Amino acid sequence: MTHDATTAPAAPASAGGLLSALTRPQVYMSLLALSSILLIPLISGSPFLIHVFVTICVFAALSSAWNIVGGYAGQLSLGHMMFYGIGAYTTALLVQHFGLTPWIGMWVGAVIAATVGVAIGYPCFRLRGPFFSLSTIAFLEVIRLLAIHFVGFTGGSAGLIVPLQIGWKWMVFTDKANYLFIAFALLLICMAASLMVRRSRLGFYLTAVREREDAALAAGIDNSGVKLKAVIISAMLTALIGAFHAMYLTFLEPATMFSLGTSIEVAMFSLIGGLGTVAGPLLGTVLVVPLAELARGWLGAQANGLHGFVYGTVLVLITLTLPAGLVGTFGPAVSRWIDRLPGGGRREALRIAPALRTLGGTKGETILEAKDLVMKFGGLTATDNVSVSLKRGEILGIIGPNGAGKTTLFNQISGFLTPTSGTIAVRGHDGTMVSPTAADAFARLGVGRTFQIVQPFGGLSVIENIMIGAFLRHPGVEDARAVALRVAAVVGLLDVKDVEARNLPIGALKRLEVARTLAGEPDILLLDEVMAGQNQTDTMGMVELIRSIRDTGVTVIAIEHNMQAIMSLSDRIVVIDSGRVIAEGDPKEVVKNRKVIEAYLGEDFVDAQGF
Amino acid sequence: MDVFIQLIVNGIMLGSMYAIISVGLTLIFGVVRVVNFAHGELLMVGMYAVYLLFAKFGLHPYASAVPVVILLFCLGMAIQRFIIQPLLNADEHIQIFATVGLSTALVNLALMLFGADLYSVSAPDVRRSVTFAGNTVLVGQLVMLGASILLVGGLHAFMQTTALGRAIRATAQNRNAALLMGVRVDRIYLVSFGLGAACVGLASALVSPLFPATPTVGTYFVLTAFVVVVLGGMRSMYGAFAGAMIIGLVDSLSAYYIAPDLKEVVYFAIFILILIFKPTGLFGFGRGTE
Amino acid sequence: MNILMKAALVAGLAVSATAATAQVKIGALYPFSGGLALLGDESFRGLELATEERNAKGGLNGKALQIVKGDAVDPNQAVGEARRLTSVEKVSVVFGTYSSSLSIAATQVTELAGVPYFELGAISDPITERGFKNLYRSNPTARDFAASMVDSIGEAIAPALGVDAKSLKVAIIHEDSLYGQTVAGYQTARAKEKGVTIVETLPYSAKSVDLTPVILRLKSANIDVVLQTSYQNDTVLFFRQAKEQGFKPKAVMGAGGGYSLRETAQAVGYENIEGALNVDFTQYKTNAAAAPGIADFVAKYKAKYGTDPRSGHSLANYVGANLFFDAMASAKDLAPAAIRESVMKIDLPVGSTASGWGAKFNEAGQNTRVSPFIMQWQGGELVTVFPPKAAVVKMKTGLGTN
Repeated sequence: MTHDATTAPAAPASAGGLLSALTRPQVYMSLLALSSILLIPLISGSPFLIHVFVTICVFAALSSAWNIVGGYAGQLSLGHMMFYGIGAYTTALLVQHFGLTPWIGMWVGAVIAATVGVAIGYPCFRLRGPFFSLSTIAFLEVIRLLAIHFVGFTGGSAGLIVPLQIGWKWMVFTDKANYLFIAFALLLICMAASLMVRRSRLGFYLTAVREREDAALAAGIDNSGVKLKAVIISAMLTALIGAFHAMYLTFLEPATMFSLGTSIEVAMFSLIGGLGTVAGPLLGTVLVVPLAELARGWLGAQANGLHGFVYGTVLVLITLTLPAGLVGTFGPAVSRWIDRLPGGGRREALRIAPALRTLGGTKGETILEAKDLVMKFGGLTATDNVSVSLKRGEILGIIGPNGAGKTTLFNQISGFLTPTSGTIAVRGHDGTMVSPTAADAFARLGVGRTFQIVQPFGGLSVIENIMIGAFLRHPGVEDARAVALRVAAVVGLLDVKDVEARNLPIGALKRLEVARTLAGEPDILLLDEVMAGQNQTDTMGMVELIRSIRDTGVTVIAIEHNMQAIMSLSDRIVVIDSGRVIAEGDPKEVVKNRKVIEAYLGEDFVDAQGF
Repeated sequence: MDVFIQLIVNGIMLGSMYAIISVGLTLIFGVVRVVNFAHGELLMVGMYAVYLLFAKFGLHPYASAVPVVILLFCLGMAIQRFIIQPLLNADEHIQIFATVGLSTALVNLALMLFGADLYSVSAPDVRRSVTFAGNTVLVGQLVMLGASILLVGGLHAFMQTTALGRAIRATAQNRNAALLMGVRVDRIYLVSFGLGAACVGLASALVSPLFPATPTVGTYFVLTAFVVVVLGGMRSMYGAFAGAMIIGLVDSLSAYYIAPDLKEVVYFAIFILILIFKPTGLFGFGRGTE
Repeated sequence: MNILMKAALVAGLAVSATAATAQVKIGALYPFSGGLALLGDESFRGLELATEERNAKGGLNGKALQIVKGDAVDPNQAVGEARRLTSVEKVSVVFGTYSSSLSIAATQVTELAGVPYFELGAISDPITERGFKNLYRSNPTARDFAASMVDSIGEAIAPALGVDAKSLKVAIIHEDSLYGQTVAGYQTARAKEKGVTIVETLPYSAKSVDLTPVILRLKSANIDVVLQTSYQNDTVLFFRQAKEQGFKPKAVMGAGGGYSLRETAQAVGYENIEGALNVDFTQYKTNAAAAPGIADFVAKYKAKYGTDPRSGHSLANYVGANLFFDAMASAKDLAPAAIRESVMKIDLPVGSTASGWGAKFNEAGQNTRVSPFIMQWQGGELVTVFPPKAAVVKMKTGLGTN
C-alpha cells in the first residue's frame, strides 16, 4: 500500500486491502482475542479445559446465530433450540439409518431447519415482543412433544445414541482437540456471518425494521422478507452447530435437544454481552459459561440448589446493572483504547457517490392516477370518492382544514392503507400503469413519502438513517453511504451526520424525513407537512429545495398548512374538505374559490366579506 | 356419554384452576406490560407458604389465604419496585430476562430450603368428593370455581367503579396519557403487580389442597397460564376466564379422545393458530401485533 | 503438535500415573444438584459408605480409596465432568450415575478415554448395549423391571386373585420421559411374549396437572391391573384422582420411581396407597434370608447419616461398589484390561449380597444375576412380598383400605 489512504478510493477485497485491514487495531486485537479461545486449551492440553472451551465455542456460536434474529431483527425467539435439535436429529438419523457422514447430514439438517424457520416465521412475524416470544416457545414445545411421541422415528425419550465410529468422516474423535478445531471453526463462521449481516444492506434493513416498521416500508423494505432472510441464516447456522454438538455429545434426547431452558440461556448470553452487536454474544458466553462452571464446582457440593440460586441472582443483578450489555457499557471505552494502538484512528476513504438515476418518461404524462378513493373507518368516511391525477414534473399542493382526510389520501396513494373502494395506478419504469398492493412495493416503484409525525430510526445516526433510504437504489454499503452524504449536504444535515437521530431537534427531524425519502431517488415525492416546525429561513430553504428536486424531474405532491409557501410553490392545488375534493386548479384561482374560503374560515366570514 | 359429561365437568374444574392462576398474570401483563416468567414461581412460593402455615400452626389452607395473599402482595410490590421498575425504560427483552433470572433463583432457593421432595397439606374436607348424576367433583374444585368467578367479577367491578381501578385501566390503555392526566404511573404499576401477585396468593391457598408443592411446581402451570392470558386477549379478566375454561376443556377432552401425552400439542396448536389468525385474542381488547 | 499429542495421551497415562501413588482416586459422578439431586445424593451415599468401610479395613491392597465428586445435571455437564475426572483428576475408575441419560453421555467419554466405568444405578438397557469394553453395570435394567412386572401378573397377582392370568385386562400407563417410555416399551414386548392382554397403553407428561382423562379411559375399559411407571408428582395425582373417580382396579403396580418414596405415600395417604405393588431395587423390609447383611447396612447408614435410608438406591450402590472394589482388589493392577479380567471372574450366586442379588457379568458388562423384587405398601410400609424367599409378609389383593 503506497498510495495515500485519504484520497484514494477504497479498493475492497484486494490483497492489499486485506493486508491493510490486518494492520488495523480493531482487526488484529479481535483476532488475538479469538485465537486465545483456541490456544489456551491447546497449550494446557487438558481434556477438561478443552471441553469447557468447546462448550464456550458452541454456546457463543449459538448465541451469535440467535443474535441475527433476536438482536438485529429484534425478534425475541425463545424457541431457537428447535433449529439446534432439528440439525442434531437430522444428522444423527442420517448417520444411523443411511450411514451418511455428518459433514453432509448437517447441511440437510440446516436446510430443514431453514424451511421450518420460514414456515414458523412467516405467520409469526406479525406478532411483536412478548407474543412472538410466546409463539416460539409454543412451537418448541410442540416439536419436543412430537419428538417424544413418535418413538419409532426419533427413539422417543430414550434418545438416540451416535455410534462411536472414530475418525474425521464420522466427526467422532479420541483426540479431543479435533472437536475444539471444529467448534472454533463454527464459532468463526457464525461470527463472520454475523459481521457480514451487520455490515451489509440486510443488517441496516433489519435495524430499520426493528425500530420502525412503517418508515422501513416507506423506504421500500419488504419487512417480512428481510426478517425471513435473517431467520434462514440464523436457523441454518443453529442447525449446523446442533449437528456438531450432537456428534460431540454422541447422545441425543428430546429434553436436551429441544430445551426451553437452553433456548433462554442462549438468548441471555447475547443480552449480557450486548444485544445486536457482533462481539456481544461471544463476550456474554465467555463471561457466563466459566462462571456457571465455577459456581457449580465451588457451590454445587455445598447445598442443593445453591449454585442455581446464585446463578439466577447474578443474572438479575446483571440485567439491573448492565441493561446495555457488556458491549454497550464498556464498548466505547475499549474502542477509544484500541484506537490509540498502533495503526489506530485511521479514517475510511470517501467514495465518490454514484450518478443519480436518470428519470425517464415525458413531462406532463399522467404518472399517478387515483380514482374514486373511498376509505371508511367503521362509521367514519375519511375519503369520499376522491380522484387525483398527477402529471409528471409538476408540484401538486394539497390543502384543507385539519381532519379533512389529506393524510388518509397520502396513506392510500403510498400503499399504507388499502382503500375500501377505488383504484390507484402508478406509472412503472417500463411506462405501463400498475397497481401495487403493499407499501414497500409502492416505494420500489418510485413513490417516496415522508410522515407527518416524523419516523426516524432513533438508534441510528443521521447518515445511517439516510442510507436506509439510499439502499433502495444502491445495494452496496459504500455506494449508499456516498449517496447519503450527498443528500445530507443537499438538505443541510451534513454537520450533524454522526448524531444519533433520537437526539435531533424537530426541525432537523423533518429534514431527515425528506433526506431519507430523497435518498431513495423517487419518481414521485409525497411530502406531508415538511415545513411544520421549521423557522423562516429553513422554510425558504425547503421551498428552494423542493423546486430544485422538481427540476431534476421528480414529481412532487405536498400537504402543507403554510399557505404562503404552498401557494408560491405549487403548479396546481387540490383542496379537500370532509373527505371530498372541493376545488382543484391553479393556485390563484383556488384562493378565490368561495367553497375554499368557507372551508377554511367558515361561512360567516365569507358572508361578512361580501363574497 | 356418561364419560363425556364427566370430561366436561372435569374440564370446567380444571379451567377454574387455570383461571384463578392466570388472573394475576392478566393483570400484570395487561397493566405493567411485562411478561413475568416468574409467575409460576410466585405460585410456588405461595404453596410453600400455605404448607408452612399448615405444618407449623395447623392452619387450614383456606384460612391461610389471608396471610399468604398479604405476603404475595408485598412480594409482588417488591419485585416491581426493585426489579421491574428500574428496567421500565430498558428494552423489553431485558425485563423478560430479569424475570427469568428471578424464576431460576426462586426455584433453586426452594430446592435449597425444602429439597426436591414434595410437600402436601392434608385437607380431607376439601378433598371430599361430591357426586351428582353420576359425575364426581371435589369440594375443593367447586370452591375454586366459585372463587374464580368471584375473583374475576370482583376485579372487574373494582376496575370499573373505584378511582384506583379507573386509574389502573387508564394506565393500561395509555401510559403516557395517564401520566399527563396526573396518574402516578409508578404507583399504579406497584399496586398492579402487587394485586396480580396477591391473586396468585389466593390461587395457591386454593390449589394447595389439590396439588403438592415442589420447587418446580410453577413450571407445570406457567406456560398454560400464558396460553390462557393470550387466548383471553391479554387485558380482559372475562377473557382470561373464558380462555381458561377453553384450555381446561381442551385439556380434558383431548387427553381422553386423542392421547394424554399430546394434549399440550393440541392446546399449543390452538394457541399458535389464534395468535396467527386473531392476534387480539379470542375476546381481546389486547393487540397481539401492537 | 507435541502439545496435542500430550493432550491425547493424558487420559491414557492417567491409570499408570495414579497406580504409583499410595492412594487410589475414584470418580463419583452423580447429579448432586438440580431436579435429580435427591436420589443422586442418596445413590452416592451407598458408594460413600462402601468406600469408608473399605478404607477402615485397610483400603484396596493397602492403598486408601479417595473419592473425587463430579456433579452432572444434564448430558453436557456429564460429558464435562467425565472429562474432568478422567483428565484433570486422573481417577482410576468412575462410579455413577443414577440417571440413565447422564450415564450414557458420561460413558461415551470414559470409553474413549479408556477408563473403566462402574454403573451402579441407571436402568436404561442401551447403556450396556453399545459394545463398550470398559463399562460394567451391577444393577438390574429397565428390561428386568418390565419383565418382573409383567411376569408377576401370572406368577403372583392372578394366583392371589384366584383367576386365570389371561382373563385379566391390563393397562400400561407411564410418564413420557426416558424412564417411563423405556420401561413401558419393554413391558409391551414382554406382555406379547407372555400372552398377557394389554388393553390400553397411555403415555402422559410427568408435569401433568390432571390425570382424570387417563383414569376415565382405564375405567371405561374396565381395567383389572394397572402397570404404572411414574415419578412422584404423577403417582400422587394418579392415586388421588383414581379414588375420586371411583376407579378401583384389582391391582396397581409401579416401577420404582414415585412408588418407592415415603413422601408419595404420605401425600396420597397410607390408607389409599395400601395394597399398591411396586417393583424396584431392593428396599429395606426384605427377608434377610434372601438378602444377607441388609440389616447391617441400615444400621451403618443410620450411624453415619442419622436417618433411615431414603430409598433403595443407597443399598444398590453400596452392593455394586463392593462388588467392583473386590474385583479391583483382586486385579493384578488397575489397568483397564486387568480390571476387565477380574470383573469377568466374579461369580456370586443369587441371594448372596445385601440386596439379594448375585453377580455374574456378561461380555457387555451387564450383571446377569439380578432381578428386582416385588414390594407392596402395607400398613404404611413398603414390604417385600415376592419372590416368596425374600418376602416378609404375604401379598394381599385390592387397593385402599376402604
